[in-house]
Amino acid sequence: MLTAFLLLPLAGVLMIAFLPKDREHEAKYLALLVTTIAFAISLFTFVWFDRSVEGYQFVDRLQWITAQDAGFTVQFVLGVDGLSLPMMVLTGLLTVAAVLISFNITLRPKEYFIWLLVLETAVAGVFLSLDLIQFFLFWELELLPMYLLISIWGSGRKEYSAMKFLLYTIGGSALMLVGFLVLGLSAGTFDIAELAAAPPAEAIIPLAAIFWFIMAAFLVKLPVFPVHTWLPDAHTDAPTAVSVMLAGVLLKMGGYGILRIVLPILPQQSLDFRMVLATIAGFSVVYGALITIRQRDLKRLVAYSSVSHMGFVLLGISAMGAVGLSGATLQMFTHGTITGLLFIMVGLVYDRAHTRQIADLSGLMHRMPLIGTVFVVTGLAALGLPGMSGFVAEITVFLGAFGPHPIATSFAVFGVVLGAGYILWTVQRVFTGPMNERWAHLPDATEWWERTAMAGMLASIGIVGIYPRVLTDVVNMGIAPIAAVLGGGA
Amino acid sequence: MIPEAAAWLIYFVPLTAAGVIAVFLRNRPLDAGRLMIGAIGVSWLLALWALNSVLSGDHPGESIGYDPHHWVTIGTALDVSFGINIDGLTGVMLVVVTSVALLVQIYSTGYMHGDGGYYRYFAYMGLFCSSMLGLVLASSLLQLFIFWELVGVSSYLLIGFWFDRPSAAAAAKKAFIVTRFGDFGFMLGIIFIWTQTGEFDIATLNANAKELSAGVLAGFSLGLFAGAVGKSAQFPLHVWLPDAMEGPTPVSALIHAATMVAAGVYLIARFFPAFEAAPPYVHTIVAYTGAITALMAATIGLVATDVKRVLAYSTISQLGYMVMALGLGGYVAAIFHLFTHAFFKALLFLGSGSVNHATGTFDMRLMGGLRSHMPITFWTFVIGSLSLAGVFPLAGFWSKDEILITALDNDPVLFVVGVSVAFMTALYMFRAIILTFLGAYKGGESSAHGDGGHHSLHESPLSMVAPLVILAVPAIAIGWVNLGGGFGHLLEGALPEALRHGHHEASSLVIVVSTVAALAGIASAFAIYYARMPAPEVIRARLAPLHMLAERKYFMDIIAEDILVRGVLYRGFCRVSELFDTYVVDFAVNMVGRVTRIASEVARRSTMGQQQAYSSLLLAGVIGAVVMLFALTGNLMER
Repeated sequence: MLTAFLLLPLAGVLMIAFLPKDREHEAKYLALLVTTIAFAISLFTFVWFDRSVEGYQFVDRLQWITAQDAGFTVQFVLGVDGLSLPMMVLTGLLTVAAVLISFNITLRPKEYFIWLLVLETAVAGVFLSLDLIQFFLFWELELLPMYLLISIWGSGRKEYSAMKFLLYTIGGSALMLVGFLVLGLSAGTFDIAELAAAPPAEAIIPLAAIFWFIMAAFLVKLPVFPVHTWLPDAHTDAPTAVSVMLAGVLLKMGGYGILRIVLPILPQQSLDFRMVLATIAGFSVVYGALITIRQRDLKRLVAYSSVSHMGFVLLGISAMGAVGLSGATLQMFTHGTITGLLFIMVGLVYDRAHTRQIADLSGLMHRMPLIGTVFVVTGLAALGLPGMSGFVAEITVFLGAFGPHPIATSFAVFGVVLGAGYILWTVQRVFTGPMNERWAHLPDATEWWERTAMAGMLASIGIVGIYPRVLTDVVNMGIAPIAAVLGGGA
Repeated sequence: MIPEAAAWLIYFVPLTAAGVIAVFLRNRPLDAGRLMIGAIGVSWLLALWALNSVLSGDHPGESIGYDPHHWVTIGTALDVSFGINIDGLTGVMLVVVTSVALLVQIYSTGYMHGDGGYYRYFAYMGLFCSSMLGLVLASSLLQLFIFWELVGVSSYLLIGFWFDRPSAAAAAKKAFIVTRFGDFGFMLGIIFIWTQTGEFDIATLNANAKELSAGVLAGFSLGLFAGAVGKSAQFPLHVWLPDAMEGPTPVSALIHAATMVAAGVYLIARFFPAFEAAPPYVHTIVAYTGAITALMAATIGLVATDVKRVLAYSTISQLGYMVMALGLGGYVAAIFHLFTHAFFKALLFLGSGSVNHATGTFDMRLMGGLRSHMPITFWTFVIGSLSLAGVFPLAGFWSKDEILITALDNDPVLFVVGVSVAFMTALYMFRAIILTFLGAYKGGESSAHGDGGHHSLHESPLSMVAPLVILAVPAIAIGWVNLGGGFGHLLEGALPEALRHGHHEASSLVIVVSTVAALAGIASAFAIYYARMPAPEVIRARLAPLHMLAERKYFMDIIAEDILVRGVLYRGFCRVSELFDTYVVDFAVNMVGRVTRIASEVARRSTMGQQQAYSSLLLAGVIGAVVMLFALTGNLMER
């Protein structure tokens, strides 16, 4: 099942590759078909997932490089638990949305959709891999489509932004690879489950150094201050769908990596550095929000708000207890849908007005009631309004983190006030006010693919917000063993 | 006894109606209005049933216990459960909210007639009523907070209802953000008390309050109070409420006078056992914040020229009264005043809306002489004003007296403040009546502040007048419910035995002083604004600095918006962060990139093409690495 989920997009790649040139506009339908099936698989997995069992389910295993005399084997192994399952569903959902809002792509559509599908496989591979080497390979595989998607289909300083994204990630992942190799060679296995079951007590370089090597890659990806500056550039210059994927699922690889690899395998080091992480997190939330308020470009604004919101993820992680870690996982899922949808909305506005400068826009609500309403609702979700998924995640993070880190958490809570500031101010400037003649001819969201993308994302935000158990009951099963390793405190 | 399902329906019925309107009735606005009136009517009947259930128990006012339902659980560490709590306090609030809401909806069918957003208006109203009812029914602190935020967002949507007006859009944003500052404290209070006790259940928190340390209770109480300061527009977070008058007037009547702004008072009353157990300095902070608010807002009310702003500052002032009462331990007094205030202030706001409907403005300088044209509006407005001024035997008299008695018993300074506020209240209300309804008509219309409407001087339609007349009845008589202390008894049923004080004996001193203050205020209003002896201009010149201070609202808007938000926050912290991000963080990143490129350039130049040189460098590197590994670990070979 998981292998099917992982390989299906690649099957789509082949199908699109063999499309004749004169039918290249059909690539989008193939991509939609493939990603919809993949999403359906992720939903089936979600439904069939046994919510009473901790540990991995639906495991597919294949020995790949066996070198017992050298002390290690490299294998191909996939599996989901309560931590990766929400990420799998998120990937499935957001890729469908990304394909839908790419329906108006006319520049080299075959290649575009091919790279989008490769991206899905790479991200899914990261979330489903249970082996460090395999994890690393998928982690690196993601770079290629991202680099091309930004540098070819982007806008503005797209080559600079794509290169910046690439260098940052490679810089981080080089350190991560060192960390993985040392860990794996010291313990004689690269299997994540085995490593977590028996965390290495020592290695050829201090474990604290390994901790920071691996964390470097994940913190860059998350991102948090001070390694976040690639994010606004990459987002601003990327096409809409790529921004959606980037904010929605790629950033989650960072938080996921910490939860899946760092905490279980290096629990003592994680506990040792929890204060540092909490401080970075609290600072990132407020710092990101302060800069967000100053942004003049809608897309940059949403991008910087991501820096602020991903700080909540790290804050929840730094709590090192069941509540905080669950909150971090919920925040990853909910940020994926909410910020993903915000990028979609910004993209829809940009498609029509051909500008993202807030100062140029005003009174759009008159001609675009649907886009305006969905933007407002999504904005309210982003500022943590109860009844929507963002609130559940944030309050859970705060409840978990306040005990160990009262000051950092207070700062983060203040970030929620700032969040209300930049969201509502943006709504005021862009959507309210008298009708602007310059924008009086713009159409609302009328295409079926635009509406479907919005509806799907809104549904997931609302369902989780009103009935969070649909997610928390799954997340609990993934978090409980990690929290137990860390001491199981609140 | 009301079954639990019926209690849930109290707020699910308006919510469902709002959903139906949003999805199905967008092109049938009149049906949308009717549906919402029907839905709130159902809620009203259910609320009466709930109140009756509370009254008819063995111990009137005590909570009807329902089992909560799990919402989120995380292992054993976190259990968030939601449920319904109905006791004397809830019962009273339910009836206040549904009664006023019902009348306001009926009024709105006239007031909003022909507005392009008619269906949207009723959908938002349904969302608000549902959230407000959910707030008072909540049995868990987190559940209460959820609805607390939802009433905030409904308020945001309704203040900004006419979003094409920049002032309305700005006011909506300001209201939400300013109250969020209070909610910041409220959230910290919630998180803090959960960290300390692992509990969200309101009844449990109250029951075990005595066992908590003074510091915990103080932190928790101040957190709740921060929320109340934002929502109930207390100094210094009151600045959003006058601006909120940009919303349609029925919205002001329901949300920004009768119900939502009273939620802060309700919140403290809900946690009264925990609040009472907090150290005394907490009570002092609360009482004096309320007193300052009451005094400050009343003085601004004296000079405001917009009738709706007069009412808005009056609301802030009266909320300050309630908060002061809570700080002094006057649980019954505060809620009793909340109860009577809801009716007469809703009446006054709807009256001002009726005036606007005729004149097209809220500016009192453009009004005058409306008495003969709009007799029903005039007389009901007078009744509301008399009640607010606290004239015997109208509703406001009884509840204001309760607060003044509490003040006299506890803190003479606050008693003096209370009496002077009572004097000013009577003065500004009758000033408003004189400017609006007496004298000669000064033209009306033309102001951008008005809600639009018909500009002929006629009494408003039946749908608007009928709610005025109906509301005039409780504005006169609702205070009598506590003549024998029955109302207080019902409210105190929600408290543990030890906190029940029973009925206050009326104090003849308080009755005399407050009546004199009210009558003196009314007389002064007639002397100054009707007989012009002395003329208002003379007083204005005499008290120029004070007048200017009040007219400029004590510079609070300038301090809050221009200095703190635009200055310190936007040009200060935000700008510094932005510059730091661009010129330090990102610059460093780009420098790393540049240095790498230069270094590789150097490296490229050093490619001299000699195989031996490469090999020896390589060898040196490998040896260096091995030596380093040995140095770091020492025991590599033993593995």
